[in-house]
Amino acid sequence: MSKYVPSRLATLPQTLDPAEYDTSSEVRRAQNERLAIRARLKRQYLLQYDNPHRRGIIEDPALLRWTYARTANVYPNFRPTPKTSFLGAVFGIGPLFFWYYVFKTDRDRKEKLIQEGKWERPLSITY
Amino acid sequence: MAASMTVSRAVRWLGAAARRATPPGARAASGLTKDMLPGPYPRTPEERAAAAKKYNMRVEDYEPYPDEGFGYGDYPKLPDRSQHERDPWYDWDHSELRLNWGEPMHFDFDMYTRNRVDTSPTAVSWNTMCKHFFGFLGFMMFMFWLGEMYPCYQPVGPKQYPYDNLYLERGGDPNKKPEPVIHYEI
Repeated sequence: MSKYVPSRLATLPQTLDPAEYDTSSEVRRAQNERLAIRARLKRQYLLQYDNPHRRGIIEDPALLRWTYARTANVYPNFRPTPKTSFLGAVFGIGPLFFWYYVFKTDRDRKEKLIQEGKWERPLSITY
Repeated sequence: MAASMTVSRAVRWLGAAARRATPPGARAASGLTKDMLPGPYPRTPEERAAAAKKYNMRVEDYEPYPDEGFGYGDYPKLPDRSQHERDPWYDWDHSELRLNWGEPMHFDFDMYTRNRVDTSPTAVSWNTMCKHFFGFLGFMMFMFWLGEMYPCYQPVGPKQYPYDNLYLERGGDPNKKPEPVIHYEI
């Protein structure tokens, strides 16, 4: 049996992870702090959820921050660096030139065949 | 060097112009103030602590994306785990998203929902799966290619048609007598 190696799309199961069995006091304190934060958030949420006078939706600041970060916060934090410029050229401008050359050579080849009278168009039902 | 400087100055001028063009009195349509929204990359430890508090995370857990100008700002870099991996039996606030209220969402959250990318552990590791799959595919393709190169079948001969090799059906003259075609030997 070969050893299970985790990858980007198949993570290590919790039972095989040695960090799961780490019970040192720092790890326990960290887990407790995270649990405390989660409990406070849960309490705030449940207070709003079970409030009988609430009429509308409960606004989720984490969702609003996520939306803001994905839309309005991208351009102010964008900086033209060698890496971003290279990626922008490869993914933004490269395809234009690439597809132009692909279509142009294909069309020229067909045009040449038509001019020479060798363009074959057999009957096809599907297209 | 001077060209890239002018380009970055032009980019910054465009950003400042966009900010100048927002009408005065414009505000976010929610209860969040400007300091509770994501901002630029944190440089000092105080900024990091403030950002961790803003995102409801521990200061030790908070790790922003590296500052390479990609536009992440101070958004935290959470582990790339899909929502498939989260406990299905816990009482999440949003049960189908397996998400709690106020919890920092992954930057690619919409990719990691339960309808899309799944990073949960597989029965066999990825490398083994790849080896088995591509090994089988490669072997089958190799065998088919071999069959194309070296075909082997029962011996065949040309098809023998009756009526003098179908003389009349092939448009032969009915008044003329065709030459006899004999396919057998006695």
